[in-house]
Amino acid sequence: MSSKKLKIVLISLLPLLVLGFLAFRAFENSAAYYYTISEVAAKEMGEQKVRIKGQLVDDSVDYDASIPLLKFSLTDGTADVAVFYPGVLPDNLQHADEVIIEGKFNSNRDFIVSKLMLQCPSKYEGEE
Amino acid sequence: MVYVGGSLLYLALGLTVYALITQCLVKRDEGNSRGRSARKATTLSVVAVIFATLSLVWAFVTNDFRFAYVASNSQRSLPIIFKISALWAGQSGSLLLWLLIISLLTLVVQANGNYRKSGISSGITIVINLVRVLFLILLLFATSPFELLVDPPWDGTGLNPMLQSLGMVVHPPLLFLGFSGFLIPFALVVVELWRGSSSGTWVQRSRPWVLFSWLFLTAGIVTGGQWAYTELGWGGYWAWDPVENASLFPWLTSTALVHTLLLPKKTRTQVWSFFLIVITFALTIFGTFLTRSGILDSVHAFSGGILGSIFLGVLGVILLFSLFLWWSRRSLFEQGSGDEAASSITVLSKSVSIQGGNILLLLICLTVFLGTMFPLYSSIFLGREVVLDADFFNQLTVPLFLLLLLLMGMAPVLDWYSTDNERFCRRVWLPALVSLGVAVLTYRVQGSGVLASIAFAIATFGAITHFQDLLGHCYKRKLGAYLVHLGIIVMLVGITGSSIFVDDLFLQVQPGDKVQAGGYVLEYSGLKTRYGSDRYTVGTTLIIRKSNGVAGEITAEKTFWENRRQPSTRVGIFSTFKEDLYLNLVGWESQVAQLHVQRFSLVRWIWFGSLLVYLGVLVILVPSKILRLKSGR
Repeated sequence: MSSKKLKIVLISLLPLLVLGFLAFRAFENSAAYYYTISEVAAKEMGEQKVRIKGQLVDDSVDYDASIPLLKFSLTDGTADVAVFYPGVLPDNLQHADEVIIEGKFNSNRDFIVSKLMLQCPSKYEGEE
Repeated sequence: MVYVGGSLLYLALGLTVYALITQCLVKRDEGNSRGRSARKATTLSVVAVIFATLSLVWAFVTNDFRFAYVASNSQRSLPIIFKISALWAGQSGSLLLWLLIISLLTLVVQANGNYRKSGISSGITIVINLVRVLFLILLLFATSPFELLVDPPWDGTGLNPMLQSLGMVVHPPLLFLGFSGFLIPFALVVVELWRGSSSGTWVQRSRPWVLFSWLFLTAGIVTGGQWAYTELGWGGYWAWDPVENASLFPWLTSTALVHTLLLPKKTRTQVWSFFLIVITFALTIFGTFLTRSGILDSVHAFSGGILGSIFLGVLGVILLFSLFLWWSRRSLFEQGSGDEAASSITVLSKSVSIQGGNILLLLICLTVFLGTMFPLYSSIFLGREVVLDADFFNQLTVPLFLLLLLLMGMAPVLDWYSTDNERFCRRVWLPALVSLGVAVLTYRVQGSGVLASIAFAIATFGAITHFQDLLGHCYKRKLGAYLVHLGIIVMLVGITGSSIFVDDLFLQVQPGDKVQAGGYVLEYSGLKTRYGSDRYTVGTTLIIRKSNGVAGEITAEKTFWENRRQPSTRVGIFSTFKEDLYLNLVGWESQVAQLHVQRFSLVRWIWFGSLLVYLGVLVILVPSKILRLKSGR
């Protein structure tokens, strides 16, 4: 390898290193770990951001539009977890086949949802 | 009548397979009767696809609920425009639309006398017909839109209210057109390399196709963003959702491709163009796979099913074949710049900055790709599936995008091979000085953060360099390219503004209340209820006042449907170039309403910028016979 080529390689490595560093830093505050509801219900989780998938527990929805604050529970069949979402009730919550939430426990051990996603496998195929 | 659509698809499949076999036998000589009959068969198969699609549209328009697809995506009371667009509301219908678009492109290719004269017309048709056969097989045997119900209902179940939107009418066809268009450059390069021709004419020939597809892909992405912006729960115009990212991958690589194809011959490497054409086409297939497979959680995804794995298989075949083609024909690629040509090129040149920009585009693509796919491979080394949210993508790509746009702003001040320092300084001092001023000003006035003021400075810099150059000397291709660049700059301003200047208020109001939001006063006068045949709508209209009088009004509504458990929300948007007011009716008790008012700055700039981009590409694509401007470099 000529010295010119070596120089090019070194110069192009630098931005990659910078990018890698940025990626590492960005990763720390944006990563959400997948946990099962049983795990979340059983284990005392830390401050880590987690993502959970589950079904909505019927009649668990309690919504106060004036704050707004939405409370509901998710289940995976074996365990339930109650969560709080400080936001607007989405139109299709009750209808969703699967609810995906992202959030953390606060100091009172309440699970605060920061992102609420609703999945309907039949979403673009009309309603049953 | 009910069997017409399905039968037409069978007919199309038969004709296309016949055309494929005959064309493979014909090879180069296209003038003989076999070649002609293959072309006729292809044309007829296209006609069959057109009529099959029309028969489904007809079924939607006439409320023919014997078709399961119609029954589950439409209903009698649906407005006619949504009945037509319901065609692509489901999986099988959108595949049919896609097939239709590819089929129409086939006609365009076949009609091109230039391709026929150089003997590549039948080759390209073979490649396209292979894809069409795949779609036809999927439509006939995996997911048919013409499946019949044993017991047809009197009325359909209706279209999801989220899909009853202008966005649904325009976004999917534009995106599919963009996606399909990249098939043609792929076919062009495959045919020429397969034939062993080293002329490299595919570079010139693929240029208009790449631009055309880039135009529609861009329009597809922007209209998707516009739609998501008006729809609650989709996280604004861009949320780094896997399905959104899937459309961004080919956009990034095709943007690099557009620029590679524009490079003068001296600095262009054919391998690079080949690689970008293949990767762009592969990414359109990959996007389809991501959308249909459901392997990543998305708010836009279709249900999982066999389709995902089929597209993954096709993707594998395409990549392996391209790799093989590249390896076996590597001697055909022109070596690009020899060493003596390269030595006359300096770093301070358009050629180098375009290549730098391409590397940045690919880096962004790679970053977003790895970030999007992270949940799939993270469990290997983190022991758990991990998802990265929008923050990750923003933090990583924003600096790269800004660098890229700075390079874009430099385009007019650089010469193709080398720019001497004095000339460079003469061109750059004014924009540099003004943008420095803008940086300081925006940083101090708004206190909005370093990145935002850098973004505004870069936008200012680019705008001035482009205008400076346009005033000097202007011809058609330059005007088009610069319009695209200026459009992107305007979009940059809009994206920056809307991400930093945001107000967010929750209000509880009684009739007669006046509330402050931004520089406006909103007047609430109560709720109104409207009744329809199968629904009722609760809504409110706020009067928007500014210091100098009434500025307008804004309406937000919630509709409750008789046969749906979920209501549908329509947000109100009051839009000016300065800012958008975004109103959502959250809830109410008698006449006391809870409102969510948000203010986003400069959103309109994004949409306005995109119009400039379209206009720019059109200026380039329109033949110079029609648009009289001095042309040529």
